[in-house]
Amino acid sequence: MSNATTAVNSSLVTFENVSKTFPNGHRALKNVSLTFAPGEFIAVVGLSGAGKSTLIRCVNRLVMPTEGRILVNGKDITGMGEGELRTVRARIGMIFQNYNLVRRSSVLRNVLAGRLAHLPTWRTLTGMFPAADMELAFRSLERVGIPEKAYQRADTLSGGQQQRVAIARALTQQPHILLADEPVASLDPPTAHQVMRDLKNLSREENLLTLVNLHFIDMAQEYADRVIGLRAGEVVFDGPGAGMTEADFEAIYNRRIRPDDLRGALDIVGESTGEASALAR
Amino acid sequence: MISAYPTPPNDRPVPTPPPKPAASDRIIPVIYVTLTIVALVWSLSGMDISWGRIATRSQQATVYFRQMFLETDWSYLPKTLKGLQESFQIAALGTFLAAILAIPFGALAARNLSRLPVLPAFGKFFLNFIRAFPELILAIAFIKAIGPGAFAGVLAIGLHSIGMMGKLYAERIESVDKNAIEALSAAGASPLEIFRHAILPEVLPDFLSFALFRLDINIRAATVLGIVGAGGVGTLLELQRRGNNWRTIGTIFICIVITVIIVDFISAKLRAKLT
Ligand SMILES: Nc1ncnc2c1ncn2[C@@H]1O[C@H](COP(=O)(O)OP(=O)(O)O)[C@@H](O)[C@H]1O
Ligand SMILES: [Mg+2]
Repeated sequence: MSNATTAVNSSLVTFENVSKTFPNGHRALKNVSLTFAPGEFIAVVGLSGAGKSTLIRCVNRLVMPTEGRILVNGKDITGMGEGELRTVRARIGMIFQNYNLVRRSSVLRNVLAGRLAHLPTWRTLTGMFPAADMELAFRSLERVGIPEKAYQRADTLSGGQQQRVAIARALTQQPHILLADEPVASLDPPTAHQVMRDLKNLSREENLLTLVNLHFIDMAQEYADRVIGLRAGEVVFDGPGAGMTEADFEAIYNRRIRPDDLRGALDIVGESTGEASALAR
Repeated sequence: MISAYPTPPNDRPVPTPPPKPAASDRIIPVIYVTLTIVALVWSLSGMDISWGRIATRSQQATVYFRQMFLETDWSYLPKTLKGLQESFQIAALGTFLAAILAIPFGALAARNLSRLPVLPAFGKFFLNFIRAFPELILAIAFIKAIGPGAFAGVLAIGLHSIGMMGKLYAERIESVDKNAIEALSAAGASPLEIFRHAILPEVLPDFLSFALFRLDINIRAATVLGIVGAGGVGTLLELQRRGNNWRTIGTIFICIVITVIIVDFISAKLRAKLT
């Protein structure tokens, strides 16, 4: 399907000389130019504070760049008004480290939130979702494997299940872009690998451009078609994860790689859990 | 720059003990205590307490107490219950109106909802302002405006409760989970949709709990509103007080206390269920 070579042909998201200076004067992104194609599965790696979250949040303008342009589907989002921005965000799913669910709402209500920007206001404010949208929400829950949790309160689920609800919410948006900001950082290793596999599969099946921030470089290499390495707000590596050398690691981390940069491969982790080792093949 | 591996454990700086509080900080408690004592003495001096009068009066009071609690006039019970029912209705209606209307006011006063800091400042000021008027003063004002009766009581209780509950609502909204708001915002939801789908589900059970607690307080308030002519059992109380009928006052008094205890109990039970 999609890989780094198709990226040259068409672009879904383009960063043109993007910089971000926060009001306190900190430059979190420095003149970043990047092009992302539909269906690409990209991992963004770097030390804590390197600017990974800032980069990913620029794509849906949760962070407003201070310089440069960002094109989504050919349209510059940096100059957009609120209304137009919402129609762009409607098709960009986002997953967070802390799941960011509405804790006291049911799983189904949380998943339906993915339809808010697609429906007329009278429907979203009364909560009268059309049957087709309800069906879509249920199908999303089925795809992440927890349809039986639909009517349970979100905060009664385990971390892994909550992240699945968050993925289902994003899927219900029928997105063409999926952003994930350290989606597995709060999960135990077997669950983390499962969530990464889910994201990877969804990206393939839906031809979703997926940008995942990862703290662990081995996970990035294992799952991503393309790895972007950030250091102090600058892109210092951009290429397939398999081809990364010791020099590339040093460029990103500014030092040699250490065990705490690695989460541990699936087969090492799998020894303790039958489920994970079965997945490892 | 981190270069060596593994990191040497003893390169951390030696922790310095926190500085001792300045002398000016230790003075402050002394100032508070002194001010409290001055305020107490000043308040007592304004009381003009005459111990002799208290002694003679308390002999009369025992007579009244006997009439109220030992010679209670239970034939007045049906009328009392009707009055209590009206007080309850005044309280319930006023609380209901306030519980709904306090939502927009609370949202206006919450600092985390608007980008302009002027709006929450205005909202807070408005709520503080209406809270400053006790129910009785409001009742007198409404009686002047729309005539005596239960509806003046409803408006008095409702308006005062908007001030009280709006403030609680605003504080609850300010402590709402930012993560869910961010997620819905990222999915393209509008501010109203975020309020409806990320904020309300989280705060509504607590709003209901505040309303139940307020109902509890408002029932007490509604029993005395009749004294100024705003309906309810207080009307009877005022009538009997004028006639010095301590036996019927006893009936009313006992019924009010029992009602308040029951409502207290039920409200606490319901609120416990909400959390
Ligand atoms: N709102 C903000 N205001 C000021 N500085 C910020 C803000 N958000 C992030 N930063 C700073 O920008 C840098 C990059 O942050 P971030 O993108 O969150 O890094 P990462 O996700 O790679 O850990 C950090 O040094 C961080 O302290
Ligand atoms: Mg981050």
